[in-house]
Amino acid sequence: MLSLSIAARFLRKSPIQSILIAAGIAVGIGVQVFLGSLITSLQTSLVDQTIGNSPQLVVQSQQDGQPVTYTSQVEQAMKSQSQVTTVVPTRAYSGIYRSGTQNAPLQLTGGSLGQLDTIYDISGRLVAGKATLGSSDILVGKDFANTFGVKPGDQVSIVLPSGKPAALTATGVFDFGSAAANSATAFVNGDQAATVLGYSSDQYSAIDAQVQDVFSSKQVADALRSDSALNGLKVTEWQSQNADLLSALQSQSSSSYMIQFFVLVAVALGIASTLAISAVQKTRQIGILKAMGMKDRQSGRIFLWQALILGVSGAAVGVLGGLALIALFTYLGRNSTSLFPITPQVGFVVLSFVVGVLVAVLSSLIPSRRTSKLDPIEVIQGG
Amino acid sequence: MAETLVGAENIGKTYGTAVKTVALHEVSFTLDAGEFASVIGQSGSGKSTLLNLVGLLDTPTTGRIVLGGHDTTAATRKQRSALRNDFIGFVFQFHYLLPEFTVLENVLMPGRIGGVAQAELVGRAEENLALLGLEGLEKKNANDLSGGQKQRVAIARALMNRPALVLADEPTGNLDTVNTKMVYELFRTINEELGTAFVVVTHDRSVAQQADRILEISDGALLQDVRNAYAAPRAREADLPAPA
Repeated sequence: MLSLSIAARFLRKSPIQSILIAAGIAVGIGVQVFLGSLITSLQTSLVDQTIGNSPQLVVQSQQDGQPVTYTSQVEQAMKSQSQVTTVVPTRAYSGIYRSGTQNAPLQLTGGSLGQLDTIYDISGRLVAGKATLGSSDILVGKDFANTFGVKPGDQVSIVLPSGKPAALTATGVFDFGSAAANSATAFVNGDQAATVLGYSSDQYSAIDAQVQDVFSSKQVADALRSDSALNGLKVTEWQSQNADLLSALQSQSSSSYMIQFFVLVAVALGIASTLAISAVQKTRQIGILKAMGMKDRQSGRIFLWQALILGVSGAAVGVLGGLALIALFTYLGRNSTSLFPITPQVGFVVLSFVVGVLVAVLSSLIPSRRTSKLDPIEVIQGG
Repeated sequence: MAETLVGAENIGKTYGTAVKTVALHEVSFTLDAGEFASVIGQSGSGKSTLLNLVGLLDTPTTGRIVLGGHDTTAATRKQRSALRNDFIGFVFQFHYLLPEFTVLENVLMPGRIGGVAQAELVGRAEENLALLGLEGLEKKNANDLSGGQKQRVAIARALMNRPALVLADEPTGNLDTVNTKMVYELFRTINEELGTAFVVVTHDRSVAQQADRILEISDGALLQDVRNAYAAPRAREADLPAPA
């Protein structure tokens, strides 16, 4: 591998130039790794905050207000979808909280706490009291509790859809991280909700489900719609309900790709120009090597090897730098609630490394071609 | 009868397309294996052009060159590179050593270009360096040598593949008198000990007189091709006319 050994020697004998090119690649790939991971994690965080603790698929009756009969066939059909991770039948009704002259609408969701937790993680988000849902228990949100001074153990008076009052006991206060959810959402016992709604034991308002890959919800919903067990039922999924969020995520991805693309273009131009200068600087050496019998292809490979060495070392440093930036970002934001954790994706990091090496190699094509076409007589006559 | 190493038939070289400059008119000569010839002429007479054509560094506009039995007229760039590597060693006015490499690595280069592993070549490279009085300098950087030493390293490099022919273009143009004498003595020693043929281009008549044969070029034409009687006793038997 004479070309490789000459390439390595050329690089070693021009250390500053070599370090500058590798640093250029490192900065480009570092930015790529950091920015790409940042945007991906930001999107994951946004998606998680928006729909992570809510049903991503909802099966309801075609007619509004009518119950769904949760048969074993329906349960089986939903659970047979490989993407579906959780299936929770719920009973929901609207109520009005009344305390003296104060009124506030509440959306009450009834179910078993263990099942509700698999979607809403109420127990994990409890900030006061105990996570229990006995027949007359109610779990309320933090903002609701603060607004109306409700504490665990307090009586909560609700006006039911029928207009009748119901007295429930606040057992715990949860925080969903959203003022809207914390103000207007509450959880009650499933049987209590069934009584309010006049439902039998297998009747529910909706069957909520979560999926492993949130972006697969459309496909899963389509599959469920075509399942005969769900005939006469309506399947909705989060993506069709959150077009604005999806559009924002898409725009964010597009801007991120644009930034990453132009960073890579800048890196490629930097490498190409520096290698072109290097090729001119080494014209005499290449010419004499060719006079001694080095073949065109062999000489052209010198700059390809140089690019490969610089690409691999630069991209490796870039990946490490990007990961270090992510670690720094995570460290600085460890106590902050406004920052989100950045999780580097192995696939993306590997892809960034490969892209860095490829960009370097592609950037060397012009100097390589120039070198392979060099005629030794140009150097010999030039003196 | 010695084997013919170089056969040049009516070779000519014209530069330019719109404005044509004829650098060499149809020149013909042959060079036998082991012969020591010099090419003499004024600056711009075409002697370096002739050397570059014979060394397959340039292609003739007319005529053909046969090197070691290979007609190079239709040879590809790859084939010409291989022939240069196999048959020819070059020594130029400028040493053209690779400053990134040590003395030993520079000497090894033609062998490595030829695809031979470095380990197999080191012995011969060291022999060459010893022959040229460069022992102990193997690990020095090429840039750390004197002018004379650099040119001797260039000669050692030219001999690496045991070429049948060494082409030297003003090899002592940048050297002082002592080093000039040393270089020519080395050329003669190598010529005699290894049987390597030499074609040395020079504009210095006293230098040319040390060759067995003198080709004089003037205005791109071969003015005379004579056996040098003054180079005796080293002069070779050749069927050439005596100097005019």
